[in-house]
Amino acid sequence: MPDLASARIAGEPFFTLPFGDIVNYFTPYTAVLFGFALLFTAICIFSRPERQLDVVFGTDAYYAKGVTGKELRFRRFMAIACGCATMGAMLSGDVFNFTLFVSMVGICIIGIVAAVKSRHVLDAAYNYGIISIIATVPLFGGAAITLATTGTLSIWALSGMQAGMPLIAKILILLGVMGEGIAPFYAAKAELFRAPGAPYVIMIHVSSLLMFLRVVEILLTV
Amino acid sequence: MISWYVIGLIVIFAGVALTFSAFLKERDDVHKLILADLAEISGLAIIALTATDLAEALIIPGLVVGISELLAVSEIYLTREKLFEQPKKRFRIEVMDSAPALLGAILVIFGIVLSGFTGGAVAATGVIFYFLCKGQQERFALIETVSGYAWALWIVAFFTFMLAPSYWFFGVMLAGSAILAKVVAKMSLIGAMRGESNA
Repeated sequence: MPDLASARIAGEPFFTLPFGDIVNYFTPYTAVLFGFALLFTAICIFSRPERQLDVVFGTDAYYAKGVTGKELRFRRFMAIACGCATMGAMLSGDVFNFTLFVSMVGICIIGIVAAVKSRHVLDAAYNYGIISIIATVPLFGGAAITLATTGTLSIWALSGMQAGMPLIAKILILLGVMGEGIAPFYAAKAELFRAPGAPYVIMIHVSSLLMFLRVVEILLTV
Repeated sequence: MISWYVIGLIVIFAGVALTFSAFLKERDDVHKLILADLAEISGLAIIALTATDLAEALIIPGLVVGISELLAVSEIYLTREKLFEQPKKRFRIEVMDSAPALLGAILVIFGIVLSGFTGGAVAATGVIFYFLCKGQQERFALIETVSGYAWALWIVAFFTFMLAPSYWFFGVMLAGSAILAKVVAKMSLIGAMRGESNA
């Protein structure tokens, strides 16, 4: 098993999963993040969505808005897919795979937000969609520049190199993750917290938080 | 001497900067979507600059992610603007009434001769042309089923490579014909599903 050169940042890797030259790995740090994503995916699978209650002012009456049927199934599917993509991003040992998983998280988040069929929510989903399309430019660009200058995409190989990933590629990847991870801002803008279906909205925040935590680890390692 | 790679990067980043400056001025939502697609293409161009086999392998997932994001966002646009009606007046010229069967057949046969991913794209162009001219009362469920089986065959071919490498020729043939059917089916569905009950 090759050594991860800057293991002091995230701890010594204790599990590797090689697919040819793509070596996925767990360090204590990424294993914790992975477990976190797994936990929230399980919550999305097993919990029932929250029902929103609107109190009619001045009386004892209230409206209950539930999430049912097709919309429930779609949002649950998207939340689970988002969890899986996040888990993939957590254990990926390859820069391009990481960027692909990050953009998959973006697509799933578009799905979660867009399931609510009201005008201002769809507006927010549309704007986030545009941002996440644009964010794939620096993401893939950073990975491609890394490949062109160092000849490899493997985090293992990059961490062992003297030069490592060029600074411009690091900046680009960070920009890309910022673009995909801006989702909670749009979720807040659409007031999704006040829309019914709570556990699925949580997935948006969990996945973007975990993406930021992982990209910091990758950028410090390579 | 600056290397060609750096010159290419500078050109692409100039293009990206141009696209982003257009973004700042643009107010129309559809135009924004098109500009975003333009930016996406320049992202693929950065990958293509690497100019190795690996870069070619990276472009396909990049393209798939880009197209799926584009489809998702345009679907959101359609839902938001409540655009469920098919446009009444469609583009018609004479060749669209007389030639579709022949041209479609030529393209499909040529695609099958080419085989593989490129052949799939050529054959799909034939199928799309046919649908475009003849309208679409076809059974999409059938095309979807073909696509599903083709994907399964593709996977079978991969397992053949891994588990029984001596049957590689069988695997190559299976994978080549399956990806052909898969690409044809998928591409001919693009744009034809709008207005159906599952839209």
